[in-house]
Amino acid sequence: MKLNKYFERSLWVFHLNTGSCNGCDIEIVAGLTPRYDLERFGIKLVGSPKHADVLLVTGPVTSKMLDRVKRVYEQTPDPKAVIVVGACGTSGGVFYNSYNISGSVDKVIPVDVYVPGCPPRPEAIINGVLQAWIKLENLRESMKTAQAK
Amino acid sequence: MNKKTYSIPIGPVHPSLKEPMTFNFEIYGERIEKVNLAPGDNHRGIEFMGRQRNPIQIIYLAERICGICSAAHPFAFCQAVENAAGIEVPERAQYIRVIIAELERIHSHILWAGVAAHELGFDSVLYLSWRAREEVLDLLEYLTGNRINYGIFMIGGVRRDISEEQLPRIRETLEYYKDIYGKIEDIFLNDPTIAFRTKNVGVLTKEDALHLCAVGPTTRASGIKKDVRQDQPYSAYADLNVEAITPDVFSGEVNGDVYDRIIVRLLELVQSIQIIEQCLDNMPSGEIIAEKKLVKLLNQLKKAKGEGVGRVEAPRGECIHYVKLNESELPEVWKARAPTYNNLMTWVPMLIDQQIADIPIVIASIDPCIACMDRVTILNKNNGQKSMLTKKDLHELSVQKTRRITP
Amino acid sequence: MEYMTPEKIVELFKEKFNGSIINSKIEIKTAGLKKNNYSLIWIEIEVKDFKEAVNLLCTIQFPHFSIISDNDIGEEIKLTYHFSLYYGEKSQEISLNLATSLPKNNLKILSITDLIPGAQISEREIKEMLGVTIEGLPDLSNIFLPKDFPKDVYPLRKDETGAVKMVNKEEEVKKVE
Repeated sequence: MKLNKYFERSLWVFHLNTGSCNGCDIEIVAGLTPRYDLERFGIKLVGSPKHADVLLVTGPVTSKMLDRVKRVYEQTPDPKAVIVVGACGTSGGVFYNSYNISGSVDKVIPVDVYVPGCPPRPEAIINGVLQAWIKLENLRESMKTAQAK
Repeated sequence: MNKKTYSIPIGPVHPSLKEPMTFNFEIYGERIEKVNLAPGDNHRGIEFMGRQRNPIQIIYLAERICGICSAAHPFAFCQAVENAAGIEVPERAQYIRVIIAELERIHSHILWAGVAAHELGFDSVLYLSWRAREEVLDLLEYLTGNRINYGIFMIGGVRRDISEEQLPRIRETLEYYKDIYGKIEDIFLNDPTIAFRTKNVGVLTKEDALHLCAVGPTTRASGIKKDVRQDQPYSAYADLNVEAITPDVFSGEVNGDVYDRIIVRLLELVQSIQIIEQCLDNMPSGEIIAEKKLVKLLNQLKKAKGEGVGRVEAPRGECIHYVKLNESELPEVWKARAPTYNNLMTWVPMLIDQQIADIPIVIASIDPCIACMDRVTILNKNNGQKSMLTKKDLHELSVQKTRRITP
Repeated sequence: MEYMTPEKIVELFKEKFNGSIINSKIEIKTAGLKKNNYSLIWIEIEVKDFKEAVNLLCTIQFPHFSIISDNDIGEEIKLTYHFSLYYGEKSQEISLNLATSLPKNNLKILSITDLIPGAQISEREIKEMLGVTIEGLPDLSNIFLPKDFPKDVYPLRKDETGAVKMVNKEEEVKKVE
C-alpha cells in the first residue's frame, strides 16, 4: 500500500454513540491524544456530521437512537464511509437479547469497515480509519472518472 | 415587561452515562431559568438481559454497563452474589480487588481532569493529562490483560494473581504519578483562569446534596463526608484507614462549587496512590479465589438461596448492586445502580441561574463525559425561527468566556 | 444525634408498627484481614404502613436513599427500598432495606419524594418498568423508555406483560440505503 496516495487531504471524522458502554468512546479519544496521536495524520474529530467524511459509530442501536442514527447518516455529505467500532455495534455483542435494542449498526445504515474488539485498542481503531480512507479515495476517484465521462 | 424565554434542547448523544441525556433548557437572555432532564437514549435493558443469564455471564455484562467503571460494577455485583450465596472471599483476592479498583480511580480522575480542562478551553492540558493517563492504562493492561473492561473479577475472588515480579512495575507507575502530581495540582488549583471559571459556578449546597442523595465527589465537594470506603468498609478497605475527602482539607472552606469538585478529585488521586501502597505492603499470601472450577461454582450458585447487596465506591460515587438467588440457574433479581443515577438530579440546582457558557463545565463537574452537546437547537418561540448550535459552538462560547476573563 | 444499634432500630420499628412488620432480620458481614464487621437490616412491612415507616426512618437521621429494587413473584410485586443510615463516620454505616409487597390487582404505593426528593428518578423507573402507580409523584413522563414504547408492556415483569416478546424485533427496522 502506498500510504502517500491517501494523505492528500485531512480526513474529518464524526463520532456517534448509539448506546455504547463508553469503552470504545474513550479508546477513540485515547487514539487522538499524544500516545497514539491520530491528528498527526490530519485526522480530526468534528462537532457536526455535516462537516464529516467518516462516521465512527459505537454501540448497539437503542430504540431512541434508531431515528437519530439514520438522520446523522443522511446529513453526512457524500462520498462518505461508515466505521463501526466495537463488538456490540458489529453484531450486538453482549447486548444481543434486549427489548430496547434494534440490533447491530449494519441493520440500520450501510457499514464499510468493522473494527472488532471489546473495546478495540486505539491501534485497531486507527487501522480502521485508514481502511475507510482508502475506500473513500477510491470512491472519489471513481466519482471523478464518472464525471469526466 | 414581556419576558421571553428560549428553549434549548441539548443531546442526546452522550457517551459516558449508562443513560445518555437529553437536556432541555429554558433560557432568559444568558441565564438558565429551568432545566428538564430526559435520559434514556442509551437504555439497553441490561437488568432485563441479566435476568436471563447465569451469574458468571452477568459479570461480563456488568462490566459493560460502563467502560470507565469497568472495575466498580463487577466488584459490586460479585459482592452481592457472594453475600447472597454466603461465599467467603480469600483475603489476598480482597487486596487485589482493591488495587484494581484504585488504579481505576486514578485513570478515571485523570480522564475527568482532561475533559474538564477541554471544556474550559485548555486543550493542551487535555492532551497532557491523557498522556499521563496512558501510564496507568499500561499498568492495568500489565496486571489484568486489558486496558478497559479488565475481566479480572470472578465470584469468590479474582482471576489473576499479582506476582512478586510485578510489584516493582506497580511501584514505578505510582512513583511516576507522585512525580507529576505537583504539576497537575499547580495547573488546576493555582491557575487564576481556572479559578475564575470554576469558583462559585455550579454551586450545590450541602442541603441539596443531602436531600437529592448525591454520591461520590459531588456530595463530598458539598461538605458531606460520605464515602462507602469509609462508612461501611468492604473488602480490604476494612484494614485501611480511608477517610472521606472534603475540600476544606485543602482550601479551608466548603463552597460546593466546581472548583471544590476539582479539589476533591485531585486529592483522591493522592489517596488512591497511598491506598495501593498500603495494599502492596500488607498483602497477605494465599488463594485468590474461593472456587477455581467454574462448573462447580455454578452448581453451588444454582443451589444457593438468599439476597445480597454489594456496595462499592466507584470513581463517581456509590455503586450498588442487589441480587436475589432462588435455587435456580438464573438470578431471580439483579438490580444495578450506577452513581450518576443519583447525581442526575443535582444538575438542576447547579444549572439554575448559570450562563449558557457555563453549561459544559457544570455538566462535566459531576463527571459524566459531556460529548452529549451534539446538536443544540435554539428555537425562538415567537417566530418559530430555528438556529443550530453545535457542540463546537457551545464549546466555543465556553472558550470565549475563558478568554474574556483571563487577566 | 444519638447512635442507635441495629437491634435498637429494629425494636423501634417493631414497637411502632407491631402488627404490620412481616419479618425482620439483622445480618452481620465481615471484611478484610481484621474481619471488621458491618450490619445490614432487612425489614418487610405491610404496604399500609410503608410511608409511615419511611417517615420514622427520617426522624432517626436523614437517610441516604440508594435505589428501589423490584421482584415480580407471581401474584405480588415486592419492592425493596435500599437506605443507609449513619454515613459520614468511620465504619458506622448501617444499611437498611425496607421491603413491601403489592398485590398485582392493586399496584399502588405512596410516593416518598416529599420526604426524600432524591427518590424521584427511582420511583419513575419503577412506574414505567413495572406499571406500579406511585401516588403523589409529580412528574409522570417516561424516563428510560422511549415515548412510543407499547403501553401494556412492562419490561421487568415476569408475567405476560413482560418484554420477552419485544426481543429481536429487528425485521421491523428499516435500513437506510
